[in-house]
Order: sequence, then C-alpha cells, then structure tokens
Amino acid sequence: MSNSPAAPELKSDQLFVNLGPQHPSTHGVLRVGLTIEGEIVVKAVPDIGYLHRGTEKLAELRGYHHCVVISDRWDYLSAMNNNLMFCLAAEKLLKVEVPERAQHLRVAMCELNRIASHLLFFGTFGIDMGAFTAFLHAFREREMVLDLFEMSCGARLTYNYIRLAGVMKDVPDAWVARCREFLEFFKPRLKEYDELLSFNPIFLDRTKGVGAISKAAAVDWGLSGPNLRASGVDYDARKSEPYSGYEKYDFDVPLGGDGDCWDRYYCRVREMHESIKIVEQALAKLQPGPILGKGVAKVPKPVPGEAYVHVEGARGDLGCYLVSDGNMAPYRMHIRAPSFINLAILQEMLVGERMSDVIAILGSIDIVLGEVDR
Amino acid sequence: MIQYFSEVFGAFFAILKGMSVTFKTMLKPSITVQYPTEKLVPFSGFRGALLFDAETCISCNQCVKACPSYCIQLENAVNETGKKVAKVAWYSIDFGKCNFCRLCEESCPTKPKAVWHSKDYELTFFRRDEMVRCWKKGFDFVGLYWDRATKDFRKPEGQVQIQTTQERFQY
Repeated sequence: MSNSPAAPELKSDQLFVNLGPQHPSTHGVLRVGLTIEGEIVVKAVPDIGYLHRGTEKLAELRGYHHCVVISDRWDYLSAMNNNLMFCLAAEKLLKVEVPERAQHLRVAMCELNRIASHLLFFGTFGIDMGAFTAFLHAFREREMVLDLFEMSCGARLTYNYIRLAGVMKDVPDAWVARCREFLEFFKPRLKEYDELLSFNPIFLDRTKGVGAISKAAAVDWGLSGPNLRASGVDYDARKSEPYSGYEKYDFDVPLGGDGDCWDRYYCRVREMHESIKIVEQALAKLQPGPILGKGVAKVPKPVPGEAYVHVEGARGDLGCYLVSDGNMAPYRMHIRAPSFINLAILQEMLVGERMSDVIAILGSIDIVLGEVDR
Repeated sequence: MIQYFSEVFGAFFAILKGMSVTFKTMLKPSITVQYPTEKLVPFSGFRGALLFDAETCISCNQCVKACPSYCIQLENAVNETGKKVAKVAWYSIDFGKCNFCRLCEESCPTKPKAVWHSKDYELTFFRRDEMVRCWKKGFDFVGLYWDRATKDFRKPEGQVQIQTTQERFQY
C-alpha cells in the first residue's frame, strides 16, 4: 500500500473518508485520509503541510533577536516554551549568563504557559467528547493566565517575552500578587474538573481503553511529553537534563499506566497540579536583581559553532538545533517539534479503531498544527 | 440486568455531580462582557496598534533594523540646500506585516519614544490600502493612509476609543 493521502484503490466494501482539513476537532488544518470498512479504520494517512510558513528557512535571513519573534509562531499555545527553547540555544552559542531573577521569571512564565496550554487541551478534548461545560470552565481560568501575560509583556498569545540573556521586562509587585491570587483560585478548580469530566462515566466509556499505546511503541515512535509519560515511561527533560534552574524545584512527574486516551488526558490534568507547585516555588524565589544579562550585542554574531538544546514544552520534548557561521543570522536552524513527531504514530494507532474513536485519539494526542507544519 | 441498572444510576449521579458544579458557578457574577457594546481596557504596556510622532523622530533607522518583518519604511527629510537633517520626511508602517513584538519601540533612542504601542486592539481593515499607515509632519499620532483610488490621505476607520471603554473585571 502506498502512503499517499490521496484516495487509494478500494475494495468493494471499503470507503474513503477525508477527516479535515477543516474539521473542527483537528484543531487546525490537518487532513487524515481514512479508509474504513464499516465502522473500522483499516488505513489512516495524516496529510500535513497546510500551515507551512517556512519559518526555519526564514530564520536563516533574520537576526537572533528576530528569531525569538518567529519562535512565537510555532506552538502558539505555549509560546513561552518556544521562546525559552530558542533563547537557550542562542545563549549556548553566544556563551552568555542569565541573571537569577530572569531564570525564575522564565520558569514561572513557562509553567503558567503550560497550565494555559493544558487548559485549552482540557476544554477542547471535552468538546470533542461532547462535554461542553468543561470548555467554558477551562477558558475562564485560561483567560486569567492570559491576563497575567498581558500584564507582564503586553501580549496574550505571541509573547516575545523571553529574550537573549534574560526577559523583556521586569514584572511589577502587583503581578506577583495577582499570580498568587490566580493560583489560589485555580487549585480548587482542578477538583471541580475531576467532578465535571475526569471521572464522569460517559467520558470514561469513551476514553478508557481507547487508543492504547504500549511502552515499546511509544518509545519506538519517538513520542515525548504527556503522550509518552501516559504510557508509563518516566522521561521529562526538566528532570533528566535540567535547564533554567529546574533542578532547584521540587515537583513530581505524573505517569500513566495503560497509555490510553484517558491516561493521556489525566496525565495533563495532573501536570497542571505540578505546574502550580513550580510557579509557587518560583514566585517565592524571586529576589530583586537584574533581569537582562550582559554581553548580548544589538546584532549578535556568535562564533562559528553549533548548539542543540531541548526543553520540556507543553506538548513534549522541544528541541532546537542552531548552526552559526559567525554571521548575524543562523546558518541553519532546525526545530524538533513534538507535535510533528507525536502525530506520526496516528497512522499506526488509528488502524483497527472505530470511526467514532478517531476524534478521541486525535484529540488526546494534542497537536498544534502551527508546530507540525512550522 | 443489575449491572445495566447500576450503570444507569452511576451515569445519573455523575450528571448530578457535574450539574452541582454548574449550579455553583451559576450563582457567581458573570465574567463575560458584551463585546461590541462593552469594551475592556488592556493593561498598561499592552502591545496594540503602533503610534508614531513625526516631531520627535530623529530618523535614525534603528526601528527599521529592529523590525523582524521589515514592515517599517522611512525617508530622511532634507533642508533647503539638499542636506539630510535628523527628521523624517515620511514614515510608514505596514500593519499587514506587523508582528506587534515591541522590538521597534525598544530600539527607539528618543525620549519620549517616537514610535510606541497604543492600547488599540481593534485594528480592522476593509481594503489593503488601509494597512499601510503613513506619517508626515503635521499628521496626528494615529497617522493616515494613502488611498490609491482617490489619490489622497484618508483617516483610518475602526480605531478603538480607549476613553469609552470600561475597566477590567477583577476576579
């Protein structure tokens, strides 16, 4: 069988169905060419590239400060993690130090962004499963996180907050107070989420035991992030290779068991608990001090060399490979986009599943098409 | 049979449990605003539509170099003898390309800033001509756009009046 997403030659009892590119539950523009036999999927071919903007190539023509702006546009739901990933790689090339206050601010922002991103997953996964109320609850809290970002950097989605050797600007005391207020508000909400969705029997029926990924398959396909941890593999870049001072924070890595849709969902909900803990610690550690390190020129020209940095983004292991030839722009930039790699397993996973479970599996993988296509 | 009914009752109680959360939230004040009639004020430091002051600008080209999408263009003014002076003849921003990233504002060396972000979040365009905002001496901060059909400068529509917007809801 060829791997083309176009309609294949079908047997008489088979049917070819296009899921997307405008299907609401693909969260963007993804097309999945499904060949079904009755209710059962016999072949699934994801077709990507509808949102390709060529940002990796674009970065070869832009300076390092400009690339931070480009990095916002990959995974636009957790742009802080993208900012951090690019800045860490560029800092490695430039060999500059980041002040301590900036480190803590970065961690706090990234974890708040992880909460916002997982909240969106929680809401939209609920909608995919036919539970609308959870979405409204999730977006109420997400709005508060976005308000915090708006207060600190002036944007709600494309932050451009984390800069080379520091952050854009310091946060006011009112921000810290407001952030604590939000965390206090948010903690009891997580219990409500469990009542609303997590342990609802209808929701459990639709997600438990659906789309299970075994430990071996998860590692084979190179999954990362909550998708990998839901299968029971204990891998988290924040623990295994700490960056930005994550080694000083006390948090657990939630693990699932079976690797089915519900495990992937609940892994993310529990990650929000851990993120709250990290943000609280980061706020407690905030000491007055500089927020921007020295040694970054207006047009940085790092010495020729290469750097690879990976961080734990909201969707998985987010990596950036940068090659410098001594000019103002990177010679080559490559992004290891977790969504793109997590998406690849769909072609194996969807085979043998029911048509109605396709949406549950697709939703539980939690892809962002801006990152898949870059 | 017993299992069937226990499942039915289980689902029924789960719905009650979920509805109890809904009822609790129902009694709390509403957190949404009726957008076109009620408008929120963004926090200070919001990165909205860019404003420009042609009087302050020293035409140093820093913002042109700082822009990641190359959406800013400017031309030096010249005096009677044809020598360049530290003023702009014209300055334009293409809002169709603008990333709203604040790199231009940060790079601006003048005090006060000659180019800065307003709180305007309602940038709407009906035609492509309106996207390219132009500033010259004597224009206000919002700027005008060049209408190619009528060949004159026009005032942009769809700017939010921050004075008429309401305060942000406190949780």
